[in-house]
Amino acid sequence: MGISRDEIEHLAELSSLSLSEAEISSLGADMERVIAYFDQLNELDTTDVEPTFQVFPMENVWRADEVVQFEAGRAELLALAPEVKDDQIKVPRVL
Amino acid sequence: MSGKYEMTVGIECHVQLATRTKLFSAVDNDAREKEPNACVSPVDYALPGMLPLLNARAVELAVRAGYALGAKINQRSHFDRKHYFYPDLPKGYQTSQFYKPIIGEGKVVLANGHEVRVEHAHLEEDAGKLTHFGDYSLVDLNRAGTPLLEIVSMPDIHSAEDARLYAEELWRLMTYAGVSYGDLYHGNMRFDVNISVAPVGAKKLGTRVEIKNLNSFRSVERAAAYEFGRQTELIEAGRGGEIRQETRGWSDATGKTTAQRSKEQAQDYRYMPDPDVPPLNLAEEYIAGVLAEMPKLPEDYRAAFREAGVPSEIVELILDRQSYAELLMAVLEESDAATGKIVANWLASVVMDEAPTAEQLLELAKMVQGSEVSQTAAKELLVNFSDGKTARELAKEMNLLQENDDAALEKIIDGVMASPAAAAAVADVRAGEMKAVGFLIGLIMKESGGKANPARARELLLKKLG
Amino acid sequence: MKKSDGKSSLERVKEALAAAKKYEAYNIFTKLNEKKALARAVEIDRRIAAGEEVGRLAGVPYALKDNFSDPDDLTMASVEMLKNYHAPVTATAVKRIEDEGAIMIGWTNMDAFAHGASTENSVFGVTLNSRDKTRVSGGSSGGSAVAVALDIVPFALGSDTGGSIRQPASYNGVFGMKPTFGAVSRYGVVAMASSTDTVGCLAQTAEDTRLVMSIMAGEDEKDHTTLPDFFDQPVETSKLRVGVIGDFMGEGVDTEVVGAVKDYIKKLEKAGHEVAEVSLPILKYALAVYYIVVPAEISSNLSRYDGIRYGYRAKDAKTLGEIYGRSRDEGFMPENKRRIMIGNFVLSSGFFDAYYLKAQKVRTLIIKAYEEAFEKYDVLVCPVAPGPAFKVGEHDDDILKLYLEDVMTTPPSLAGLPALAAPAGETKSGLTVGVQLIGPRGSDARLLQLAAEIEGAK
Repeated sequence: MGISRDEIEHLAELSSLSLSEAEISSLGADMERVIAYFDQLNELDTTDVEPTFQVFPMENVWRADEVVQFEAGRAELLALAPEVKDDQIKVPRVL
Repeated sequence: MSGKYEMTVGIECHVQLATRTKLFSAVDNDAREKEPNACVSPVDYALPGMLPLLNARAVELAVRAGYALGAKINQRSHFDRKHYFYPDLPKGYQTSQFYKPIIGEGKVVLANGHEVRVEHAHLEEDAGKLTHFGDYSLVDLNRAGTPLLEIVSMPDIHSAEDARLYAEELWRLMTYAGVSYGDLYHGNMRFDVNISVAPVGAKKLGTRVEIKNLNSFRSVERAAAYEFGRQTELIEAGRGGEIRQETRGWSDATGKTTAQRSKEQAQDYRYMPDPDVPPLNLAEEYIAGVLAEMPKLPEDYRAAFREAGVPSEIVELILDRQSYAELLMAVLEESDAATGKIVANWLASVVMDEAPTAEQLLELAKMVQGSEVSQTAAKELLVNFSDGKTARELAKEMNLLQENDDAALEKIIDGVMASPAAAAAVADVRAGEMKAVGFLIGLIMKESGGKANPARARELLLKKLG
Repeated sequence: MKKSDGKSSLERVKEALAAAKKYEAYNIFTKLNEKKALARAVEIDRRIAAGEEVGRLAGVPYALKDNFSDPDDLTMASVEMLKNYHAPVTATAVKRIEDEGAIMIGWTNMDAFAHGASTENSVFGVTLNSRDKTRVSGGSSGGSAVAVALDIVPFALGSDTGGSIRQPASYNGVFGMKPTFGAVSRYGVVAMASSTDTVGCLAQTAEDTRLVMSIMAGEDEKDHTTLPDFFDQPVETSKLRVGVIGDFMGEGVDTEVVGAVKDYIKKLEKAGHEVAEVSLPILKYALAVYYIVVPAEISSNLSRYDGIRYGYRAKDAKTLGEIYGRSRDEGFMPENKRRIMIGNFVLSSGFFDAYYLKAQKVRTLIIKAYEEAFEKYDVLVCPVAPGPAFKVGEHDDDILKLYLEDVMTTPPSLAGLPALAAPAGETKSGLTVGVQLIGPRGSDARLLQLAAEIEGAK
């Protein structure tokens, strides 16, 4: 299938990527080829086949509802942020 | 005009679960009065390589909620990722349940008997909090990852009052079941009201408008009523086309809704099963184990109280407080319906800072029935109970035990009859002026320090004057 | 582990650091951990002298792929986005290795975020092949493979999502273990694709591989997808039923690769194992499945890199939209962006069923085909890659060709199976060729024992 420029731009928006003109066209070409390669899966009949989202045969893995001490707390975490004010992460005003 | 139109309302309610820790990280879930970002772990901060660790208690509470909603508890469910970018969403996705929620269809019966079907309920994590300033915003992630149960109703609600009643009933169910603390002030339950308006009997529903983030029962009712009026007016004026599918915000101060954002372009959240969280497969024994710990629900209390003959208005008043319902139940288990009714009346009418224990209530009710204390004295005792004291001890201490010893009472009556203050009244009664009896009883009560049994005093007085 | 020959920990660490510098031209390390490694060696030697318990890897230098969290220094995943990221946490695998006394001497170069099969796609440039500097080291754990191949360290840690340990191991003639999914905790390892990410190691001998794996393996309360340790259990390998995957031994596979793998198979027969050819036609669809499922998970897992809480933020970004869009555009490598875009495509409304769901259903068929094969065979054998190491830049213009490098390594990844790359031989020009041993879930130790048995055989 073909993939239009509009679709590439839409996907870039979903991906939060400010792509350059050059990137839009090269990504478009690459994706078209890769997606065409996916079409081989249509050769297989998957009627009544359940999908596998996780390979491990595990269920009901949970922890007790108890507070534990972590390796890093507020000070260590906020130290990583590009901008901090009043112990909060600062960002340009959200509209 | 409104008689021609009808509202159709569905409500989504986010219930904050009463857990100690967050949904996927073992960090303190109680962010009240905490400094910003004090309750944040590397998992909540979404550092590279951090993995979600499901809180067992959240699953248990969801199962309880499912039972309270009379709903199907799905044996198999799993978590999905809902993707969007926002500064209060550290992972760039919210972990929720989209394809297979934990709770299936259920039903809520409102206080007026109307029924509202529940479409499903699912577990998900809350986002953080943004505060806006001049040209910047600040992100506090204390709330990010808090476990929520989102309960989605069917569009079965057709009046603003029912919208409120539904919200109230959900609150009762969730607090009784111990699913949530139900602290509305701190946003423990938040309601999104979806409302459309159409002519009565119309097959096609009107354009749906969503009023987001209502946090009180009254605002649910007022917002629905306001929105119904606004949309009806537009339709009446031939401007129905101006009703847009959008999200609106409600202001308690102005009593109005205002447009927030248009929903014309549907968001594409790219829901994907979360490969990091193993799915749930809840065996019957597991569910039975959770339900064995289940507290009684409003409906259980209703049935028991009605059977004991407590009038339904009083039942509803008592049900406003789960602790009172528990008290009355405990009293009923130890006594008969007559005693229960006395206690029920107290619980529904006496304002108490601290409720007495069931034992104290039971003893006090028995004392009233045995004429050991008056109703008036009992109400005074109810607000003065403290730890460890029995009703009798307190009554003695406060000198409120009734005088049921006829000899002592007769002595008081004789004294009163002989006193100059009573002379005129005594003469009046003897002359058949029965109105004066009350005055004499008053004097007797005063003389006895309130301990005399007024009915018995009256009998003895009339006999003496007879 | 290779004998210390009476050397102190400090001497061994110094030698490793000297070797790392000597081979600088290969561009193996993104940064060395010199100061801390030396201090640690002194401390271990002191403890040995004091007669204290120091662990099974005491004083052994090792190298760490650039995507493991270790508060010693930056965890960069060889990408601009994390070039300033100093992890405040320690990956469980690292903690377990260091608790046994091993000493990390440096972080190794990789394809950015582990997206790639050549270690060309790194913000630090390409890592060169240990046998031929005009060729790639393979990837994404290219730096780790070359560090072991050039004997800088006896072992290195890596991650394998679709071949990232096995393929560079094959290209450089060392052992590379991708364990059963869930065998080793993923906690603290920069995530690529959650349903196939595994943590493993590259080493010079099968025995060393098993020792390191057994130390890392086992349940971790910080990763709810981990399994109990099954490396320490004794395993039976006296006479195994070996199935050679015929689908990967013919057309499109380099003849010298086929030759080396056949030599290996002969050794298996000679050792008394029963060998037969098996056909698994479904496996040829695995690559398409992989390049749908894995980008989907990548697009999701990489959503957290937004320039808000840590990592790269675009300079002079004024609005929130600019912070997101530009930080991500500038912070990611082209291959990262390609995979994010493909992932968002297959997950987007209208395409979800046709691509993502379809792929996950075919994945079920692949798992079933393996299960049936393992009813007849204990071990499946095939090459690791269709050819020996390719030239640097050879696949620059053809993304699909680069993806095809993963055709033999992605099937076990999709099924969560253990797969071991073991040296099988060399081409006439001296390039190394690896063989892949694949077993049912949990049979990791048996694969390693079998490889150890063949290792010494002529």
